[in-house]
Amino acid sequence: MNRFKFLLVALLVGVSSLASAKTIEIDVNGLVCAFCAQGIEKTLKGFPAAEAVFVSLEHRIVAVQLKDGADIDDAALQKAITDSGYTIVAIRRTDASLDAVRQRVKADD
Amino acid sequence: MKIPRCWAALALLGLLPMAVVAKPIAFAKGKTVMLEYGAGTMNELQLFYAPRYWYSIGGGWLELTSEDGNTQRHISYLRGNLLAKRWNMPNAQANVFVWGGLGRATGNDFAGSTLARNVGFQADYETRRVYGAFRSDSQESDHFSHRIDTLQLGWAPYKHDYDTLATWFVVQGRRYTGDLFEGTETALLVRFFKGGTWVEIGATTDGKLQAMAMFNF
Repeated sequence: MNRFKFLLVALLVGVSSLASAKTIEIDVNGLVCAFCAQGIEKTLKGFPAAEAVFVSLEHRIVAVQLKDGADIDDAALQKAITDSGYTIVAIRRTDASLDAVRQRVKADD
Repeated sequence: MKIPRCWAALALLGLLPMAVVAKPIAFAKGKTVMLEYGAGTMNELQLFYAPRYWYSIGGGWLELTSEDGNTQRHISYLRGNLLAKRWNMPNAQANVFVWGGLGRATGNDFAGSTLARNVGFQADYETRRVYGAFRSDSQESDHFSHRIDTLQLGWAPYKHDYDTLATWFVVQGRRYTGDLFEGTETALLVRFFKGGTWVEIGATTDGKLQAMAMFNF
């Protein structure tokens, strides 16, 4: 029974964390030119849950700012990037805003 | 279809003759317009639409003029482009494209128009600092056989990002068959691109203008 409660709490914490994510960061291989970025940006902006998209060629990162309470599941992101012709390395969710991600990336340049 | 990984390396080594550097497929659901003025020997206009990232369809118009100006061809064609293989690496990308199409050609050394067949391929490799591409494009008919091989090697003085202007210096070597131009035509070019706009301008070693523009949207 204790084990069940623990799993339930873990699940709720996980769901809560997922629901509160503001931005999705995706590490992508093959991002070397503006045309690459243009295609990915266009595709991701097509998601109803996407508020804005930021692409950094230097850091090989694509970041998607989510609308309040919205999310895009990993499978859909994987398909979107693959169908754009690129390879996903990792997907992370963060509470940081897109501007914060942009500033962090620019500071690393 | 298994393409050996050595294609891109071969292109970089210049072991094959080369071509125009722009990719015939920009991105899924993207439209591409390319215009090229090739030192008075060739002029070309191409329009493509890519339903998926790995193929595009469209058409073009090609004008070829011999070095002495005596022979001229005009070819209008419909073409399909296929991304045969792509390698996505952390800091680089390499591609092999193939294409084929049919069109109508006219010339000042034969009467009327004739069916023209077009086939070609391109192998390219790029990072944000170096670039190499080889392209071979053939136009065949009952009256002529032309092939244009183009090799481009590029170097960027700085790494651009999506929101900054990209600048490249490019050396281009081009060979024509079919009695259009003797030897290899060499050109030095500077290329700029930002967002979906690409402009390339330079001159051949004998002072003729070479220019290209490409728009993706």
